[in-house]
Amino acid sequence: MPERVSEHRRIAVLGGVYANAEALAAVLADARRRDAEAVFCLGDLGGFGAHPDRVFPLLRQHGVRVVRGNYDEAVAAAAADCHCGYTDPRDNHYARISYVYTVAHTSAANRAWLATLPGHQRIALGPHRVLMCHGSPRRINEFLWESTTPDGLLRRLLAEHAADVLLCTHTGLKWSRALSGGAAHAVNVGAVGRPENEGTPDVWYALLTATPELEVEFVSVAYDHEAAARAVEAEGLPPEFAETLRSGWWTTCLENLPARERARGRF
Amino acid sequence: MPDVAIAPRAPFVALSALWLVLTGTLCNLRCTHCLNASGPAEPWLAPLDAAVARRALAEAEALGVREVYFTGGEPFLHREILPLVEASLSMAATTVLTNGTVMTDALADALARLAHGSRYSLEIRLSLDAADAEANDRVRGRGTWERATRTLRLLDARGLLPIVTATEIAEGAATYDRFRALLSALGIAKPRVKILPVFPVGRAVGAPGVRLTDADLEGFDRSTLPCAETRVVGADGVYACPILAGLPGARLSDGALAAALGPAALYHAACVTCHRTGATCRNA
Repeated sequence: MPERVSEHRRIAVLGGVYANAEALAAVLADARRRDAEAVFCLGDLGGFGAHPDRVFPLLRQHGVRVVRGNYDEAVAAAAADCHCGYTDPRDNHYARISYVYTVAHTSAANRAWLATLPGHQRIALGPHRVLMCHGSPRRINEFLWESTTPDGLLRRLLAEHAADVLLCTHTGLKWSRALSGGAAHAVNVGAVGRPENEGTPDVWYALLTATPELEVEFVSVAYDHEAAARAVEAEGLPPEFAETLRSGWWTTCLENLPARERARGRF
Repeated sequence: MPDVAIAPRAPFVALSALWLVLTGTLCNLRCTHCLNASGPAEPWLAPLDAAVARRALAEAEALGVREVYFTGGEPFLHREILPLVEASLSMAATTVLTNGTVMTDALADALARLAHGSRYSLEIRLSLDAADAEANDRVRGRGTWERATRTLRLLDARGLLPIVTATEIAEGAATYDRFRALLSALGIAKPRVKILPVFPVGRAVGAPGVRLTDADLEGFDRSTLPCAETRVVGADGVYACPILAGLPGARLSDGALAAALGPAALYHAACVTCHRTGATCRNA
């Protein structure tokens, strides 16, 4: 049966939520103010944050269409680990703490819901064929960093998947690139659950508009990050998680950053 | 040689990583456990002609390659290393694996210029064998520690954030922490460490070891093996594994990359290590 493809002119797209309900609520309110017709989330609802279950009602209440992330896949199946794709012992240490906590604090009903999420989503944005995924179209936990994702690879992925625009997350760092003279685009929408490793606690999401040319705007949102950080501390999660929410600098799960992205952060 | 024909196979999934064995097995050092028995004597695997390397880069770009690795031997001994790194960085993230003993200020400056002028990351992976000079130099040769740690500082001072690669020879799981502590002690603010298991290949090969069988791989997703997404160009052909490059049983084609995109034989004892440990030859 052919895939249902909805048509839109202006959409908001959110990356990893990481159980940060405070940030998600602020981002959803901001997207509504900016006249987004539809809101999409590219997965990873849990991780790092204190209240995994508080994310689900917000997503439902705002009619957010969610693509399955590696975290969602793992939590739904109560898998042995988060499928994040880390190879470094320090990254895996913090990922494990976060994952065990998330599984223990996600209800059975929400885990069952996670199991129903699609692996990708296609829409039409004006004349543009948009493909949304979590990591990459070929692997749910592939890290598409700006500095390690060649134009040649993006052109190939778009051609293989019959799309003009590729939207992804998983890395937590946003970037956008026009390809083929502007006929195609790739956008990593970043994450709403964790700041951007640039020294400010604000989080980012992407607004995409067909004019009909594709316009990509990254929007930063201030939110009650202090409340989110205090909740992390109250739950006994690593202080490093709270520090990141307050300072905007990544303190954990950063050993897999490529040199270019690693150089930009404090740690 | 074990029977390659009956060995289990890893599928080819995509060309994610292209490796160029730039200097073949030509190296200024002769480490006691070198993975491909490199050294300063006549190399058993010849250096790569720059034209062959450029052809492989172009072919890989068309195949949608994700990242490029330069290895050897010691790749900084190749006289075309800088123009080749520049060509590679124009199309993809690029890593150079080095022993860190032939770095000069001028070379570090040139690498920094290339890195800062590219949209893609340049990674320098520097090998050490122990987190103290004496133990390291027993394996890699006298004076190598001092030269390699100087290189780490040179690169770090230029914002190149080197990755130290070490094998778990003697110190087991503590190896990682010891190297992080070493880098911090050297004044490196962002210590990056990659630990590899010991592979039974090159000078580290011991008695004939076990080999993988299809029964061993029952229920295992072979597409997760690094060789499912890696191709390695050496002077005498194309391989699926950087540490098996040059071994006749591992050769997939004697020419173009496009002819080497089929399944790879998991015939070597090193394949057991990859399967058992989940090791990756990529940076992360």
